[in-house]
Amino acid sequence: MTPRDPVEDWFARRGWAPFDFQREVWDAYTRGESGLIHAATGTGKTYAAFLGAVQEALAEMRSAQAPSRKPRRRAEASPLRVLWLTPLRALAGDTEQALRLPVEELGMPWTVESRTGDTSSAQRARQRERLPSVLVTTPESLSLLLCRDDHARLFADLRCVVVDEWHELLSTKRGVQVELGLARLRALCPHLRIWGVSATLGNLDEAADTLLGTDSTGTPHPHSHPRPRRIVRGVVPKAVEVEALVPETMDRFPWAGHLNTKLLPEVMRRLEEASSAIVFTNTRSQCEIWFQSLIAANPDWFAFTALHHGSLSRAQREDVEDGLRTGRYRVVVATSSLDLGVDFAPVDLVMQIGSPKGVARLLQRAGRSGHGPGRVSRIVCVPTHAFELVEVAAARAAIAAGRIESRDPLDRPLDLLAQHLVTLALGGGFTRDAVMTELRSTRAYRQLSDEELDWVLEFVTHGGTALRAYPEYAKVHCVDGVYRVTDRRVAQRHLLNIGTIVSDHAIAVQYLSGRRLGTIEESFVARLSPGDKFFFAGTALEFVRMRDLTAWVRKAKGHVGAVPRWMGARMPLSTELAAAVRTTLEQARTGTFATPEMEAVRPVLETQAQRSAIPRPDELLIERTETRDGHHLFVYPFEGRLVHEGLAALWAYRLAQFTPLSFSFSCNDYGFELLSPEPAPLTEALEHGLLSTEHLLHDITNALNAAELARRQFREVARVAGLVFSGFPGQNKSTRQLQASSSLLYDVFVNHDPHNLLVAQARREVLERQLESSRLGRVLERLARSTVRVVDVERPTPLAFPLMIDMTRAKLSTEKLADRVRRMTVAAEKPTRSGVASVFRLGGGSP
Amino acid sequence: MTGLPPGSLAHEVAGSTVVMLPQRALWLPEHETVLVADLHWGKAAAFRAAHVPVPVGTTASDLARLSIVLESTRAQRLVVLGDLLHARSGRHADTLDVIAGWRARHAAVHMLLVRGNHDLHAGDPPPELDIACTSAPWRAGSFVGVHEPEPHAAGYVLAGHWHPHVTLRGRGRTSTRLPAFAFGPSVGILPAFSSFTGGGMYEPRPDDDLFVIADDEVLALT
Repeated sequence: MTPRDPVEDWFARRGWAPFDFQREVWDAYTRGESGLIHAATGTGKTYAAFLGAVQEALAEMRSAQAPSRKPRRRAEASPLRVLWLTPLRALAGDTEQALRLPVEELGMPWTVESRTGDTSSAQRARQRERLPSVLVTTPESLSLLLCRDDHARLFADLRCVVVDEWHELLSTKRGVQVELGLARLRALCPHLRIWGVSATLGNLDEAADTLLGTDSTGTPHPHSHPRPRRIVRGVVPKAVEVEALVPETMDRFPWAGHLNTKLLPEVMRRLEEASSAIVFTNTRSQCEIWFQSLIAANPDWFAFTALHHGSLSRAQREDVEDGLRTGRYRVVVATSSLDLGVDFAPVDLVMQIGSPKGVARLLQRAGRSGHGPGRVSRIVCVPTHAFELVEVAAARAAIAAGRIESRDPLDRPLDLLAQHLVTLALGGGFTRDAVMTELRSTRAYRQLSDEELDWVLEFVTHGGTALRAYPEYAKVHCVDGVYRVTDRRVAQRHLLNIGTIVSDHAIAVQYLSGRRLGTIEESFVARLSPGDKFFFAGTALEFVRMRDLTAWVRKAKGHVGAVPRWMGARMPLSTELAAAVRTTLEQARTGTFATPEMEAVRPVLETQAQRSAIPRPDELLIERTETRDGHHLFVYPFEGRLVHEGLAALWAYRLAQFTPLSFSFSCNDYGFELLSPEPAPLTEALEHGLLSTEHLLHDITNALNAAELARRQFREVARVAGLVFSGFPGQNKSTRQLQASSSLLYDVFVNHDPHNLLVAQARREVLERQLESSRLGRVLERLARSTVRVVDVERPTPLAFPLMIDMTRAKLSTEKLADRVRRMTVAAEKPTRSGVASVFRLGGGSP
Repeated sequence: MTGLPPGSLAHEVAGSTVVMLPQRALWLPEHETVLVADLHWGKAAAFRAAHVPVPVGTTASDLARLSIVLESTRAQRLVVLGDLLHARSGRHADTLDVIAGWRARHAAVHMLLVRGNHDLHAGDPPPELDIACTSAPWRAGSFVGVHEPEPHAAGYVLAGHWHPHVTLRGRGRTSTRLPAFAFGPSVGILPAFSSFTGGGMYEPRPDDDLFVIADDEVLALT
């Protein structure tokens, strides 16, 4: 008779019973399988993924008759057995605690530690000597470990890798970084098992393949993973109720914007009824504004209200998380920084300010409330403009129909490959053939061509064609077929560069008295003058000076104006939600207002119908009008922001082929606006293939160049590939001669090295990720079958208004620059600061 | 005025005529002199020295542009208003060879560097390039040529250092940012000659006469 399993015993001692899916994962692990677990948060996923490795170790100890007792010294503990990757270093601490509990209570000779950018240098030094038995870390820290030339020894006893919150990493470059790291580990440890933990996705199979590796045909690669893979579904998701706060009257409710706090009184009333609540916002600025508004409306709330977002200092975030758990804070205003991670059990109300943006996202946030058996997850959506009511109604319908978004994995980003090859060259070196096999075992690089690998090898050894004349400056040297890094400075810079995939240029915010508050973007600091006041971290601050990449501040008194804005704050509506919005609008057009939200938004939709029309599903609505600003075209495909950016650039390009013309354009989730000083030849263009899919790739590529979209994307590519270097800490002055903006570098590459694959990659990333070119073709086909309905409107319609006031605009022109400049006036360089007004106008005198 | 190089524009400053060239240079016909500022030769080489793989050819294409200026004006003298070489680490043999070849092509032109902040770190050009160097202002008629745009008692200052750019906005919410010449009451600032530099700290003032470079034309803003 086999003895009872100690893990099951441990569960029983704690008064728990394992879920079936947990046992399924443990058994699969024991059989040597890898896989993906998907479930809602707070349903035992962590122990499902972890305890298989614990069972294995306990069984080994029994058979070896090894003493099962706590190690007295660190050196007696088991070497690294389990590697736990988490996307947010803020989650590492909580995960570490959760994993330590069974290890300690089962008396295992294991150490459990985390290693992230936040880890103390003393702890790092200890880990340099010897890694713990269970290591909780981030993708970046894994890459840093792979840079060590003894990394094969470090991972020699590794049995299990768990990638937590895999859905968050999946469609990002950090996800590719994980793929590459796992490929290395699989090559080092043939018996490795890899388990991913994910929220529910529309493409779970693809998510599992990406994690575990496939070959170019999509089947598991012989070198990737020898065992079958398994997808395990966790406990059935809780029921979710989605409700919207409906304004009493729509008369004064705005048609656009995201900063409106009109529903504040109703929000406060709901919060008062809750014992503990999270108020989610879509942007960090929104988070600061709502926190301020709550405190301003009732200063007593300061005692139990806090805010939480990714730019705040770690100390402040931890204090808030802890306060939420213990009940010290009853209301926390947060961004996606609280989407992930451990549960906040007491939370019984979740609110969502502004558009839910996606079905999966809304579900995830709703899941933050209502823990405990049989309880319902409830989320209350707070619209900031009228059409968000439509989005809430649409999201509810999509949830009911089970339409959850997919997240598409990335395809062979060469910037990251360049970074990874330097990592491998540092980590003991590599040969070309071995690295190719390893790379092709990942999904991301399964179709990597010989030409591409050779180009990247050339790039890291000679800097591509650029550095062939400068062999003494090469990063990586190839000696007898082995690629290695020999220069200590190259190594040092590479280590600093690894963490930069996600971070933009961040400036620390710090009190003169010493305490650090968090970070804001350089572009916001650049607009501040000493004495300017702004809100940050829930506090009114006065900017004192900028020094050593730090904005020094003190507490401010009196009136405060600005709230910092962070880049990348705008998130597109998902494809699924965009489609659901189309369906919901069609119901409204035919007179069905089935929900309180749709009933509320009815007067706005009637205004839209009266001034223009609500487009039928088989119709493409175009509104045309002229204002002081110029001639506007508003086009409404309802396909989500990304596709609209591509369509807008394409249309601007095609329209400007008929006659030299300049456009500025803005996009949102419903449509796009093209604005030009002269009327665009719409009728003519519609007759001559404006909606055609013919020459699509040619036209979109030209549009992309003309609108300089690739130049923007190059920023990220340049950073990841190590072209832009922000300097060593504390050495900022000596690197000043090496400052060049990525946009300047882009020009230099385009002019002097036009075949550079990183430039090509920036273009490809815009096409695939930003403009979703594959979807663009399908959308054009749909639009080409539609009836085009052009309406000349006298006043902007509810649909047009948000596009019209959007100041974030792209540009495209086919006019000669000098002709365009002749019609322009000088603008103040810093539009937000008063001072020099634009008093210049272009005059005669030019030849 | 006839016989101006294509795309250029003449302007009266301190009682003399100056001609702005779309190649980012200023021609003083009375003194048969071309002024340029902020050349930053070898900047890409400095990047390469730090293992940043910036392609070869930036300095060479800037030199070709400077040749167009010298040939179209048939100037006797070239005065560089500071920041000729970008950094000490950019003094690579290959870059200096390219510069030497260019210098030989314009052997008859007298060349002078008025040192700027970068020159202090990067050092003077090698003597065989035959470029005279000074830290004193260059004087000609009512003009004082220096690197940093500070007013000078001796006359009207022509300077660089600020890399002036001007943002223009038009109907249809279009906008564009262009390199500019800025002539104030006592100081005139040249655009940076180097194509491998960004914009600087210049903000237009109401009493500045502004001229922008739109590809191959200099245009006046009044």
